[in-house]
Amino acid sequence: MSEHKIQRRMTIRNLLQREKAFLIFILLMVAFPFVLGTITGTGINHGVTKFWQGQLIVFFVMAVVAMSYDLLIGYCGILSFGHAAFFGAGAYTTALLFTHWAPSFSTKYRIFIPGGGDITGILIFAFVILMAVLASVLVGLLFSATSVRLKGAYFAMLTLALAEALHILAKASDFIKWTGADEGLHGVPVPAWINPTQFRPRFYFIALVFLFVSYLFIRRFTNSPAGKVIIGTRENEERVRMIGYNPVTYRTLTFVVSAIFAGLAGAMFSMWNMSATHSMTSTVITVNALIMVILGGMGTLVGGIVGAGLLQAFSHFFYDWFGPRWPLMFGLIFIISVLFFPYGIVGTWRLKRLQIKEGWARLIALLAVKKE
Amino acid sequence: MNNNNKRRTYFISGFFVLLLVLIILAWQTLGTAPFVRTSLSGLTLGSLFFMVAAGLTLIFGLMDVLNFAHGSMFMLGAYMGWQFYTNPTFIFGTAPLWLAFATGVFLLPILKPFLIRLELSESWQNALPRLAYALMVVFLLIGLLGVNIMEMADTAMVAITTTVVSNPLSEIGPQEPISSFWIRPLALFLAGAMTAVGASKPGNKKEYATDENRSRNLIILAFLIITTIILTIFREALPVAVLLMNGNLRFALAILTAVLFGFMFGMVIEITFIRPLYQRHMFSILMTLGLAFVIGEVVHILWSPLAYQMVRPPFFAQPGKAETVWEWFQNGNATLNVFGVTFPTYRLFIIVLGLLMFVSLIILMTKTRMGMIIRAGVQDPEMVEALGINVRQVFTLVFALGVAMAALGGIGAAPFIPVQPLMGDQFLMQGFITVVLGGMGSYIGAFVGAITLGMARAFGDYFALRLSLSPAIAEASTVIIMIIVLLVRPSGLFGKKE
Repeated sequence: MSEHKIQRRMTIRNLLQREKAFLIFILLMVAFPFVLGTITGTGINHGVTKFWQGQLIVFFVMAVVAMSYDLLIGYCGILSFGHAAFFGAGAYTTALLFTHWAPSFSTKYRIFIPGGGDITGILIFAFVILMAVLASVLVGLLFSATSVRLKGAYFAMLTLALAEALHILAKASDFIKWTGADEGLHGVPVPAWINPTQFRPRFYFIALVFLFVSYLFIRRFTNSPAGKVIIGTRENEERVRMIGYNPVTYRTLTFVVSAIFAGLAGAMFSMWNMSATHSMTSTVITVNALIMVILGGMGTLVGGIVGAGLLQAFSHFFYDWFGPRWPLMFGLIFIISVLFFPYGIVGTWRLKRLQIKEGWARLIALLAVKKE
Repeated sequence: MNNNNKRRTYFISGFFVLLLVLIILAWQTLGTAPFVRTSLSGLTLGSLFFMVAAGLTLIFGLMDVLNFAHGSMFMLGAYMGWQFYTNPTFIFGTAPLWLAFATGVFLLPILKPFLIRLELSESWQNALPRLAYALMVVFLLIGLLGVNIMEMADTAMVAITTTVVSNPLSEIGPQEPISSFWIRPLALFLAGAMTAVGASKPGNKKEYATDENRSRNLIILAFLIITTIILTIFREALPVAVLLMNGNLRFALAILTAVLFGFMFGMVIEITFIRPLYQRHMFSILMTLGLAFVIGEVVHILWSPLAYQMVRPPFFAQPGKAETVWEWFQNGNATLNVFGVTFPTYRLFIIVLGLLMFVSLIILMTKTRMGMIIRAGVQDPEMVEALGINVRQVFTLVFALGVAMAALGGIGAAPFIPVQPLMGDQFLMQGFITVVLGGMGSYIGAFVGAITLGMARAFGDYFALRLSLSPAIAEASTVIIMIIVLLVRPSGLFGKKE
């Protein structure tokens, strides 16, 4: 919808000017722990403040998942049911490397910078994150390779099957030594400086920066020339091909970018929980991402954040209001949203905003006529 | 086109030759007894897969809707059949209510020709439907407030947790007396009537309705009203009568109930939720996903997430092995000797059920006018509509038929698979694989795919056990089969070329 505006040169400064609402949101989130800490008088690493930071961390991570999903469904027009595979690949790679590789490596080798500082921990961390991204990118490339031949419902089913295969492998008792099968990996030894129970505010700000950077990057990506071609493939693939762009290349690009952020979110999520369980690769993750995007509004990016916030808030408050079966309410809201508000909250608001503006203009014109 | 057909023929014959070779190989390596046992369990599974996949493939072929709620329909069929068989208080207790509402809604085709002819001002045209819908909500509240659905749903749960030996009739408790209950069906009937008034858009001259089927509609309406009244009066007596019945007859009725329920449920779902979304394909898929979610949650609320085991009907329950089929028919043994292998008779019944469904589906599709329209619709729905056939009605019917078949699979599976809210998920996944394997829109393909997949599952499990791998590998292997087939031949074995 914002594409109707006249395109200015996209620099980071312009971007920041246009995203005022997002920046205000980020500033609020930065202030949140301090304000709540002062109000309750518990300090920012204790009590209620700590609890709410935990809730918000999950919200930030899921918001990134929703945004990366929006990139596929909203911008590229691909219905993929395999998003959990990206997320799970990131989560499992992180957890597996931290559990089975990092301890033995750090006992065997120590790496120093010339001044004498020990940077082994940082290097291991960077390597693990890199590997998580690599794993999810590989899954993304696999998906995009299959999308050359398959369209629509067939592609949706294939991605569902691929994610399901990963889910089955994560659950399989054959690899119990590594993945812990049904139980999953627990107590993953994440680096001490990022430990979410010990340094909650630190993890909170890392997650916030993660959301901020992801949003800016994806927004920049969708506003870039490549992003415009991707929107073009959604609208009319043949025409894009006719103009001289190869849709497959651009689709692959979308998949890679989407997979990178979903994989990073998975890595964050497994570090936050200090575990990796097979539920992180199940369709529930995909369906949640889908619900967030639909509720918030497809093709808006901000919608993903709004949807993730709603889902997180609902899951917290609905439990108190409706008891353990709160997802029923949530499903009903989803159905109503699909039937009556297909553009989601953000999309509908943007549509209505235009109408409201038109209404104002008409009213002013009417009054002006009357004055004469 | 010709070349394509030739390639398809080669592909199919190659597939069957490969299958034959694999079967002979398996026979040689396993020996007769394990081979027969494994392939019979494969056929049982395949038969269940077919019941799920047949509906999926028809629905996708005709309307391009990927029904993610099909597993939930399977599960609902199982729950309904189980309820009917174990303690039908819930079904008979709620039946008058929703039947009354349906009767009210059925006034629509009768009222509409009169209502749209009314001369109304524009403001009335807008206000009248709103008024009707508001009244509907009021009537619904009058009818439904205070109905203790949870307690009725619990009856079968209680019946299953207490010992089987005790009298099932002891679980039937007193319900709301008829002197105060009669107002509920009446209120729901009025609510349905108000829905009909609102939906027929009174005074709107753009609407069109014919009056030609009036006598038929009136007969159906009278039938519905009489049924509702009977069900209201005998609400408490009918469960007792059902429970006193012979177990086999009760089971047959349970199957019928599940299928009927599936048919009506499918109709309602299609008309209310799927129909508005045909223009927006992605949203129809999302809608079915949301429906699956909601149905699962409702079942959770009604029957809590426990797993129930339905008792097998007496025809399949006598301990001891029958040597011949005739002996089984006489005594109703639990197991039967098939080529020297002891096999549960109930599983044989499922195979027969699947085959019967396949045969009747073939007859429906090839010998009737309805089937002809469906086959034509799979080819080209616009053309069928251009020839003057109401495709929307056919869509509704096919959706209902598909859901009814899934419900049949559910009640068929209930006596040997635990009845629980997630029982449909696995079958949905396997149904998708089957449909992809056989080709979207082809019911013969669904049959071949289902049998192949069932066999693959059974033999995969067998070999996994032998090689001391986990059964998860066999499960993953079917998924991998689907991926390969999708990539090599996206249109499947019998599918039309996209």
